[in-house]
This record gives sequence, structure tokens and C-alpha cells, in this order.
Amino acid sequence: MSPPAQPQKSPSPSQPSGKGEVSDLKLQLRQLAGSRAPGTDDAKRELFKKVISYMTVGIDVSSLFSEMVMCSATSDTVLKKMCYLYVGNYAKGNPDLALLTINFLQKDCRDEDPMIRGLALRSLCSLRVANLVEYLVGPMGSGLKDNNGYVRTVATIGVLKLYHISSTTCIDADFPSMLKDLMLNDPDAQVVANCLSALQEIWSLEASTSEEASREREALLSKPVIYYLLNRIKDFSEWAQCLVLDLVVKYIPSDSNEIFDIMNLLEDRLQHANGAVVLATIKVFLHLTLSMTDVHQQVYERIKAPLLTLVSSGSQELSYAVLCHLHLLVMRAPILFSSDYKHFYCQYNEPFYVKKLKLEMLTAVANESNTYEIVTELCEYAANVDVPIARESIRAVGKIALQQYDVNAIVDRLLQFLEMDKDHVTAETLVLVKDLLRKYPQWSHDCIAVVGNISSKNVQEPKAKAALIWMLGEYSQDISDAPYILESLVENWEDEHSAEVRLHLLTAVLKCFLRRPPETQKALGAALAAGLADSHQDVHDRALFYYRLLQYNVNVTERVVDPPKQAVSVFADTQSSEIKDRIFDEFNSLSVVYQKPSYMFTDKEHRGPFEFSEELGSLSVGVESAHNVIPAQRVDANDNDLLLSTSEKEENKGPSSNGSSYNAPVYDGSISLTVSQTQTETPYSSPALPTQASQSTLAIDDLLGLGLPAAPSPVPPPLKLNVRAALDPNTFQRKWGQLPVSLTQECSINPQGIAALTTPQVLIRHMQGHSIHCIASGGQAPNFKFFFFAQKAEEPAGFFLVECVINTSSSKAQIKVKADDQSTSQVFSDLFQSALSKFGKL
Amino acid sequence: MGEADQETLYATICREVMLEKQLTGHKVDRSICAWFWEQSISQGEFVKLPPVIASPTHYLFQIVREGITFLACTQVEMPPLMGIEFLSRVADVLSDYLGGLNEDLIKDNFVIVYELLDEMIDNGFPLTTELNILREMIAPPNFVNKVLSVVTGNTSNVSNTLPGATASCVPWRTADLKHASNEVYVDLVEEIDAIISRDGALVKCDVYGEVQVNSSLSGLPDLTLSFANPSVLNDARFHPCVRFRPWESHQILSFVPPDGQFKLMTYRIKKLKNTPIYVKPQLSSDAGTCRITVLVGIRNDPGKTIDSLMVHFQLPPCVTSADLTSNHGTVNILANKTCSWSIGRIPKDKAPSMSGTLVLEAGLERLHTFPTFKVDFKIMGVALSGLQIDKLDIKNLPNRPYKGFRALTQAGEYEVRS
Repeated sequence: MSPPAQPQKSPSPSQPSGKGEVSDLKLQLRQLAGSRAPGTDDAKRELFKKVISYMTVGIDVSSLFSEMVMCSATSDTVLKKMCYLYVGNYAKGNPDLALLTINFLQKDCRDEDPMIRGLALRSLCSLRVANLVEYLVGPMGSGLKDNNGYVRTVATIGVLKLYHISSTTCIDADFPSMLKDLMLNDPDAQVVANCLSALQEIWSLEASTSEEASREREALLSKPVIYYLLNRIKDFSEWAQCLVLDLVVKYIPSDSNEIFDIMNLLEDRLQHANGAVVLATIKVFLHLTLSMTDVHQQVYERIKAPLLTLVSSGSQELSYAVLCHLHLLVMRAPILFSSDYKHFYCQYNEPFYVKKLKLEMLTAVANESNTYEIVTELCEYAANVDVPIARESIRAVGKIALQQYDVNAIVDRLLQFLEMDKDHVTAETLVLVKDLLRKYPQWSHDCIAVVGNISSKNVQEPKAKAALIWMLGEYSQDISDAPYILESLVENWEDEHSAEVRLHLLTAVLKCFLRRPPETQKALGAALAAGLADSHQDVHDRALFYYRLLQYNVNVTERVVDPPKQAVSVFADTQSSEIKDRIFDEFNSLSVVYQKPSYMFTDKEHRGPFEFSEELGSLSVGVESAHNVIPAQRVDANDNDLLLSTSEKEENKGPSSNGSSYNAPVYDGSISLTVSQTQTETPYSSPALPTQASQSTLAIDDLLGLGLPAAPSPVPPPLKLNVRAALDPNTFQRKWGQLPVSLTQECSINPQGIAALTTPQVLIRHMQGHSIHCIASGGQAPNFKFFFFAQKAEEPAGFFLVECVINTSSSKAQIKVKADDQSTSQVFSDLFQSALSKFGKL
Repeated sequence: MGEADQETLYATICREVMLEKQLTGHKVDRSICAWFWEQSISQGEFVKLPPVIASPTHYLFQIVREGITFLACTQVEMPPLMGIEFLSRVADVLSDYLGGLNEDLIKDNFVIVYELLDEMIDNGFPLTTELNILREMIAPPNFVNKVLSVVTGNTSNVSNTLPGATASCVPWRTADLKHASNEVYVDLVEEIDAIISRDGALVKCDVYGEVQVNSSLSGLPDLTLSFANPSVLNDARFHPCVRFRPWESHQILSFVPPDGQFKLMTYRIKKLKNTPIYVKPQLSSDAGTCRITVLVGIRNDPGKTIDSLMVHFQLPPCVTSADLTSNHGTVNILANKTCSWSIGRIPKDKAPSMSGTLVLEAGLERLHTFPTFKVDFKIMGVALSGLQIDKLDIKNLPNRPYKGFRALTQAGEYEVRS
């Protein structure tokens, strides 16, 4: 069977060059159609192959339909199959011609060879032409009663296909009850499985309209049915086993004996060669024992080995999917996996997404007994050539340090990182050392000794620079040349692009001044002057605020800027436990791989609770800022970007009562400011703190009578976006195809943003805070691609679609905007870019 | 849930769609492939895309086998393992049928491929992926078939009888198999995954093994395989033919085998104490150059020859040039700074070593990212985990069959840090 079609096939599918050849084929097929000469079948076969190969590469050969049907009268099975394939592909577009095929298909359904009967029936069901269903009912009915299992298998799936073409025909012919009968009695396990699959689908779709159907659906979960299926489970094919197990998950056993019976029956499924069966079984086990705490724990112990085997055996793809599930379990019960930490060691060749999961698991399972080894291992990765992994590993070390007791060794390690003399390592480590010091101030001497030796010139990343500056300010009494380092930093004020760093610099210089006034006076003067001249509003305001504060009273200044600090104790959790539980309920599903409950990506109504919480967050800002107007009680706001201390929270609530009379006039001003801000630019991404910071300073300015206009900004809001815009992917894709590109722009992203962009989700959440929603995203460092959409607030039709490609190594984003209303696309693009530029700046 | 588990299957290579199969009524537009390729190209290397990805319209499963990407799309929630396992099975079955996987083979035989897919999945629900059953439904393309078809004029490669196995009580086997010579071969194939730290300590060492059986036995034979030391096994997974109870109670594998080659069991053994070889890299930097020496030798003689020994490593990006020589085997440095030192068999009289100098980027005094050395080797005739087959009993056979046993250990992910 050499491929004669080969040479003609080579033109690429993008250029449908087949025109001439198609008409050529048409002629040849015609000639063969009536021929009875010997060898006709072979010739036909070659022609059919050609037609199908054209079809496969995407050339439209539907014009050959009638010729193909004419040629289909043959006894050759392969020819028949090819013809079925062709007809199945084009029948929907040519319903009239499809009628021609009915005849020979119906005849084949009565063939004496069961294989042909089955194939013909399958093709007949696959025509999917609504006005031909009447011809389907007869063959289907006899197919269901056929004495051959193969034909019945085909017929059962056929019923489902028929249901999708015409549900009334299917129900009227009473096929569902025939299926039910077969399901409970057929000797062929595959028939049973197909019946189950079809019935589940039909009844759940019918359930909304028919009470009987919903009762039938319930009946599938009844004890006799479940037991019947479970007892036969070994007869089923591996895929059918998955189906049955998936049904069993929904079954609620009446007592614990039943639970144990089911688990005993299914235990050997955990050792099945097919990973899908193993995971489906695990899901059953986990769900059955949810309410039995100690058994649940035993289940974890039992499923650990199969999961670990699955991860280490099999293909890379499989291993990743299993790893995602393992990740879920490890995060839920890290203690149970603490002795298996070596399984989460990264191999050199593993892709980034696998390593990242493993790092998270290593972080989670670290406890007193294994911390040393885990941290040693993580340190290996920190020296890795792969920069993102090195960064992640250092962060992991930091997290372990923040959650563990044995900090001693870890601090040494972190300090060794600083000696590695690699910029990204130094940068990450500085951020961590800062956090560590905030939690364990007792380590300050060791750390400061090393940190003091770092030349600020080698630190470029804003986060790291800010951390270094914070430490210089906070421990200025311990670092002998702190004032001079700060002074040189102030001298280069103009070159410092990050507002975050400049803010920190202001605070640090002031702290340093409060402790070592003579040495810092010059630097402070320069810093305040530079700050006042700064174009960034926050920097300007803070400088002004410090200036007035110092003018007012140095002691008060000290209480405001440099109060005695309490060690910070708890990390703000990133993912709510409710969401985690939700994902756990969806074990063995895509949710686990995406680390999101499925309603967040399959159901377009819900774009996730993030949006909600953010909305609430921005709403509460106005109120909270009023409570927080007395900043003396607040630790430097920017310090809060990573850590949240519980004690601090309580403190915040305290002063509200004594402050309320004091700042009564400000209350209105700050509210109006808030409102104007939410109008001009959509709310800030991170819920409370940063917004609060700027707002409280604003409020103070007002308090001090600085004449900053408290009236809402005079510029009317240029474009308001619908916070809860919704668009389903299909519509998005259609629109994307229809609309012309109205704008293509390139903009650069600030380095904080780049540093923060470890996964697409971070940016997605950020943009969501600006009412720009993501419909799809992908990629890992350095390339990320996003499709966003937004909707004008009062215009349901005013959609904006954006394709945004971000390259983190060049810090550039390329934006393509398409809009329903072209005239506003520039305004939207500005809004989009401004939102993007805020990314990473907290 | 069952609805549209997988809507479309694609097999693509080099941006060209080779095969497309729509499984349910909702037709999936082919542009999804274009999207996929755009994604993978923007990632540089497509192997690096996660196996499960979300496109604007669909969720995609992808696996890559021999450079061919198999893609499945779905719009509904479903078990990801099912998608990935199924694609893997499709790839396995095709490769078995066609005797390999490549563009030409698939294109030459695409009719068979379509026939196979037809039997393997219907309406998005996987039916049978058991090779033995499929083989009976659709004859594999082979030379004998071609000759036969020319001689007899019967050109169908669809067998005329329905598979007996579909009706048999042992679904993976037909009832009336006949072989002229009754033989069964059992292979223990182990892969050793290890990480060795720069001071030579074993950080992690696991063995992943398979018991592969190639059976050509007539009738319905009943086999019993037992190990001398089953206690070393940490966890095991079995082919569906293995009976669970005898394993549970006595660690005995009792089964009626499918015909031909199959994986009877896969297992994992953790915490192996010793590795058969040592690889000792030494790097010392001085004034912009780095001296590198790698020594290789036998540590715990496994008693059999160590073969196909290779050491690969990636030079750190800061190395501008390298000059490496070895006293045994050949050293290759590719343009992408990948070095490979192929040693082959370790000589009896001397310990192989490779040495040379790496020139660092201007301005760099010493090397501070060190390469990881990946080691490949093969040892015939021994399973390093120590697992031993005790005996294989065959019942239900008229005459004594030939039984063959082999063992093989090879390096999996075996890395040495420096």
C-alpha cells in the first residue's frame, strides 16, 4: 500500500491548491462509479485515500459528495470505512446529498457480518442531520437487540448521538428505558458502560424538564445499581472503570460498614496500570472517608505509595498531572508527607512548571526533622543556571525560615547566598532577609554585618533595593556607614526610577536621622528637597508630610516614623481555604491542574471571588482610611506589603474612637477623594493596605491645611469599565476574528512588574482589579501571553479585546486592542497601559 | 460528565495537521491547532508546554511522542489523567501498529489510523485500547498481508470475524490461540534515578522497574510468577490480568497472559544504598579559566559489564570556550554548549578520565554556576535493586513451553552535581 497520494499532499494546507486536483478526482470517481471491472476496488481505494488525505490536510472536497456516494456501493470493508468517514465529515453541510447514503447504510445495518452492521450503524448515527433521524430509529432499535455485543456497543452510543440530534425522537422511541434495561442485564461489560455513560448524559440533560428523568438520574445512584456496577468492576475496560468510579464518588453510603466494604472491594484498583483508574479510585476513597477523620488519614497513607509511583513512572505528561494532584494533597496535609520529601527533589532536566510545584511541596512538608536537608537541597537550586528556579528556591528557603523554629542554620544559608555574588540571588535574598528580620529581630546582628557589606550599586531590582534601604534605615545604628550609603543613594535620586524605592529611601533617611542626627542631616535635607520636587504623587506627599511633621515636633515624628516595632508573626495567606476545599472536592479533574475550582474557568458567570473581594476591598477603603488617620499607630505602610501582623490589625482598630472627633472634618474630604479616585482610575488591585497608605497621607495633608484641593478632580472620568463584565470564550473568539485591530502598541513594563510576574495568574488578578478581565493566558517566563477583555460600564455592547504579549527579559509588552467602538480604543489603551504600569507596585 | 469528554483529536507535527477526528456533534475548529502552535513557538521549545493548557475556547491535552504532538480538546471538566492516559495509549497503539511513529508512517497508513481511532473512542468516550482486541478487529499493515492481498485479491485489512476476546471471559485474550512453539520471556527492566551531591553522597536514589513479558503460548495458560525477595518492593502496579488476591496474601503474580508483549507489572523501590559507578567532577577556577576534571569508575561491581556509558553536561552560559580531552572514549562539544563524553564500556586496566580548561567570560574571575552531569549507562544481566525472580509456573498447557529470563538495568535520571 504505497502512498500514491504522497506527492500531491505536500503543498501546505494553508494554500488550498487542490482545486484542479479535486475536479480531476471528480472525473476519475465518476468513471469508476458504475464500473464492475475487476480491480475497480483497488482503483477506488487509491482515489478514496486521496480524497481523505485532502480532507485531512484541510482542503475542501465536499464537492465530491455525490461521486463518493455513488462509488460507495461496494463489498470492500476498507472502502466502506473510508466512505463512512467522508460522509460523516460532510453530511452535515449537505443534508440533501446525505439522504443518498441512507439507503446503503441501512442495508449494511442488516449485513450478516456483525462488524459491518456495527460500522454502518455508527456511521448512520454520525451523519448528524436532523431531518434524517426517522431513518435512524429502526436500525437503532434492532441494533440494541442485536445478538452481537459489538453492535450493541455501537448502538448504545448511537442512542446518545441521536439524543443530541433530536432529543424528542430519542425519548419518543423509548430508547432510554431500553438502555436502562441493557445496563442492568447485558452480559457485555462494554455495553453496560456505554449505557451508563449515555444514560447519565441524557438524564441529566432531561432532568431540568422532566421529573421522571431526574428520578431516574437519582436511581443511578441507588444502592442496587451502584453495587451491581461495583461487583462487575473487574469486567469493565479501564475507561469504563473510571466512569463507574466517578459515579461511585457521588454515592452516599448509609453507614461505615458500607464504606469499608466499598473500599475493600476497590483497594486493588489502586494498583491498576492505568493512572486514570488509580486517581479515580483515590477520589472515591477520599470522598467516602471525609467525615471519618482517622480513616481519612489512613487513606492518605494508603494512597501515598501509588501516587508517588505514578509520578516517578510513566511519561512526563502523566507525571505532571499526577504531581498536581499530589501537590493538592500535600498542601492539605503536609505532615503526612514529611518523610517523603525526597520525592519532591527537582531533577535537572525537569521543566519549570514541574520544578515549581515541587518547590512548593518541599516548602510545605518542611518540619523540624527534615528542614536541614530540605534547605540544603534548596540551596543547590539557588546556584542553578535557571534564574527563575533560583529565585523560587530562595523564596522557598525564606518561607521555610518564616514558618520554622530552626532558623539558625537557615539564616547562615541565606547569608551565604549574599556571598554568591550573583545579582538575582542577592536581590531575592535581600528581600527575604528583610522579612526575616521583621519576624526575628534577634538575628539582626548577624544579618546586618553581612548586609552592610553589600554595595548598593550591585542591587538593581526595586524590591531588593527597597529591602536594602529599609534595613539601612531600620538598623542604621548598627551599620556604621549607613548615613553615607543613604546619602549617596539620595544623590542619585534622579536615576532611581522606582517610586517604591524612593518612598523607602525617604523613610530610611528619616529613621537614620532620628538616630544619628548629625551624620544624616545633610542627607535628610537633600532627600526631602528631592522628594518635594518629585513628580510622583505619593513620593511628593510623603516628603511633604515628613517635612511638616519635623517642623511640628521631632518627638512626634519619631513616634510616627520610627515607633518600637513588634515582630511580625503571620503570613497573609494567598489562597483562601474555601477555594482549596472546593478544589479538593474536584479531585481528579482539571481544577487540580489549574489550581482553581472549575467554576472559575468553566462557568462564565463566575469570574471568581477575587473580583468580589476586591470590590469590597475598594469599598471599605473610604471607611478604613478614616479610622486610620492617626498614623502614629501605623507601622510604615509599605512594610505591610508582604506581612500582616495580627497584633497590628488590632491596633488599627483601636484609635478610631478617640480619632473620630479629631478628624471629623477630614472624613468627608477623604471620602470624596476616594470616590474621585475610584472614578478616574479603576480601583487598586491589592485590597486594602497600599490604597490606605496613600489615602491616609492625603488625608493628613488636608489635615495640615496644605491646601491640596480636596474637591474631586476636575477631569471627568474618561472611560468607566464594567467591573463585572462577562464574555464567554466563544464570543471572544468570534469577536476577535471579526473586529479589525484598532491599535497596536508597545510599552515597557516596570521592573517590579517583571519581578512580580512569576505566573500569568498574578497579572490576571491585578488586571481584574482594574476591571480588565482575562479570558485566556499562557506561558512561563520569559514569555507570557494574555487575552483580556473589558466592557464599558453602561454599554453592554462596548467591549474591548486585548491581546497582550509580555516578554519579561526585554520588559516589553505588546498590546493589540480591538474594540466594538473604535473611537474609544485609544482611551482604553491608555487605561490599560496605566493599569499595566501599576502592576508590581504595591 | 460523560458528555464530550474529548471532542477532537489531532496529531500534528511541525505545524502540519496530520490527522483530525471529531468525536462529538460540536465541531471544533481547526484554528485551535494554529493557536496551539503559536503558543508553543512563543515558548521556544514546545516540549516545555504543560500537558494541560487552556486556550481561549478549549482545554487542551497534549503529549509529544517522537516529535509528533497528540492534541485533544475539551470544553467541559473531566479527569485530566483520562485525557493524558488516553492520548498515550493512542500513541502506543499507533506505534505498535505502524512499527514506529513518524510523519511518513502515519501518512502512509492513515486509513488504518482512522480505523483504529474509530474503535478506540466513540462520541468522546474511550472504548477499548487493548492492543490484542484491536489487532483482531483491524489487521496491522505488514508485508505478509500485502503479499496475501495481491495473491488472493482479498484486500481488506479488516478481519472478517469479530474478536473472540470481546466475548471471552478474559478480555485481553482470545480463547483459541495457537502457537507452533510455546515460549514465554520475562524481562526485568530497571531504571535507576539518582542525585549525587558534589561530595559524592547519595542525595536520592530510586529504582523504577518493569516486569515485561512476551508470551506466545497456546490456549488459556495460567501462569504463576514468584519473586525470591518480594519484600524489597515499595509499591507495584499491575496489568489488569494479574489476580489481586494471591499477590495480597503471598506476593505471587498469578495471571492469564495476553498474547505478545505486555507490561505485567511496574514497581518502585526506594532508597537504594549503592550506585554501580562513580562520577567525580572537579572544577577549580583561577584568573578567568576553570580547570575541569571528571573521573569515572566502578564503585560496586555489579558483576556484569557496564555498557553504553555516557556523561552529558551543559556548560554554564558564562563559559566562552572549552577544551576537553579524555583518555578513553570521545568528547563532543556542540554549538549549544552541550558536552557529551561517550565512554562506552569501562576498560579493565584504567579509570577513564576527562580533563580540560574552560575559558570564562571576560571580567569573570571564577565560575559560580556549576554544571550538572547527567550519566547514562546500561548493565545487562542484572537488576540492581536486587529483585530476583524465583520461578515461573505454567499450568493448563499440554506441552512444556520454553521459559526465558533476562534482566537489565539502565540509568534513568542519574545526575551528579558539581
